[in-house]
Amino acid sequence: MATAELVLGLLSAGPAHGYDVKRGHDSWFPDSRPLAFGQVYTTLGRLERDELVEVVDRASEGGPERTVYALTAKGRERLARWLAEPIEPAPGGVDEMVRKVVATIRTGEDASAYLARQRAIYLHRIRELKSAEAGGDSSSWLVRDYVALHLDADLRWLDRALDRITEQKETNR
Amino acid sequence: MTDALEIQRVEYAYSRDVALRGVSLGVDAGEIVAVTGPSGCGKSTLVHCAAGILRPQAGTVTLAGRNLAELTEAERTRVRRTQVGIVLQFGQLVPDLSLKDNVALPLLLEGHHAAAARRAALGWLERVGVAEDSEALPSELSGGQNQRAAVARALVTGPAVVFADEPTGSLDSRAGEQMMELLVASARDGGAALVIVTHDNLIAAYADREVRLRDGVVQHEVRLS
Repeated sequence: MATAELVLGLLSAGPAHGYDVKRGHDSWFPDSRPLAFGQVYTTLGRLERDELVEVVDRASEGGPERTVYALTAKGRERLARWLAEPIEPAPGGVDEMVRKVVATIRTGEDASAYLARQRAIYLHRIRELKSAEAGGDSSSWLVRDYVALHLDADLRWLDRALDRITEQKETNR
Repeated sequence: MTDALEIQRVEYAYSRDVALRGVSLGVDAGEIVAVTGPSGCGKSTLVHCAAGILRPQAGTVTLAGRNLAELTEAERTRVRRTQVGIVLQFGQLVPDLSLKDNVALPLLLEGHHAAAARRAALGWLERVGVAEDSEALPSELSGGQNQRAAVARALVTGPAVVFADEPTGSLDSRAGEQMMELLVASARDGGAALVIVTHDNLIAAYADREVRLRDGVVQHEVRLS
């Protein structure tokens, strides 16, 4: 995951300390794992070393000292380059579900029963995403749409797999 | 819980083309069921049999406690008008009637007073968010607005079951989602069971239960809620 570039993105609105960066990240991606504080500070340290961010203030206000970071011109440039760059499609590896279906067929188990169970879980998840959507802001529904559409793609693949299995059974008959 | 709809071993064939090969399905009052499957699997035929539009060649359909096969044609029409609401892909409103008159139509056909029917229609148009267009003709409005009126028309008689056959098929994905949210909320509001026919997984996910058809038989049933 491009945590460094995301942190640059989170600082693009203005200077912020580590806690703000973490909170910003977690509100951009409410369904993802929260960003750990340790990771935020390690990333900010690395970005400072590479002159992509700089320390603009050290405020304490009676509490523990808080370092405020801002983007440098170099950091802004790096962020713009990252945002402009399309990413390569994921290599055509197969995930556990695909392996499981192949194994189901190879071991002679009932693939259509497996399909029903997998459909139930995926549709249930899409349903949860939809009901959560009502209260979310625009960036959280973008992420939820992404997840729901990928689950839909998996469901369609399962259908196609079942079609092929059925056809094969009919030809072999 | 009482069944809003009980389908038992229904068979249907169009001349030699067999569409349903003994399908059974029960729908509880207030339940939302998605009937899914690839095109040609028999899902629209099943809904047409369930709604009393087609007569199955074998098996029984019991709608709101009435076995459709035991009714006269007039009684069937009455059950269809009062206990069934239908939402199709393209609204299918009467083009020469205003939205309000379209929604009032099922009540007028049942002999309600015109003023009361129009009042009820306006009430439903308000609930689905198109009351301000109540005097407009369908051709003057968007597909989404027409679909909203179609939802109002389906629910105005207080039916036991609303059948929605690919209700979002003519809408883009965002309008389709809004339409589904409205349909689900309206069915719950009106106390009707909802049977959604769809080939779209994202639409099926709104249901409490999925019944999947394949080649005219139930391939599987899964609970989602």
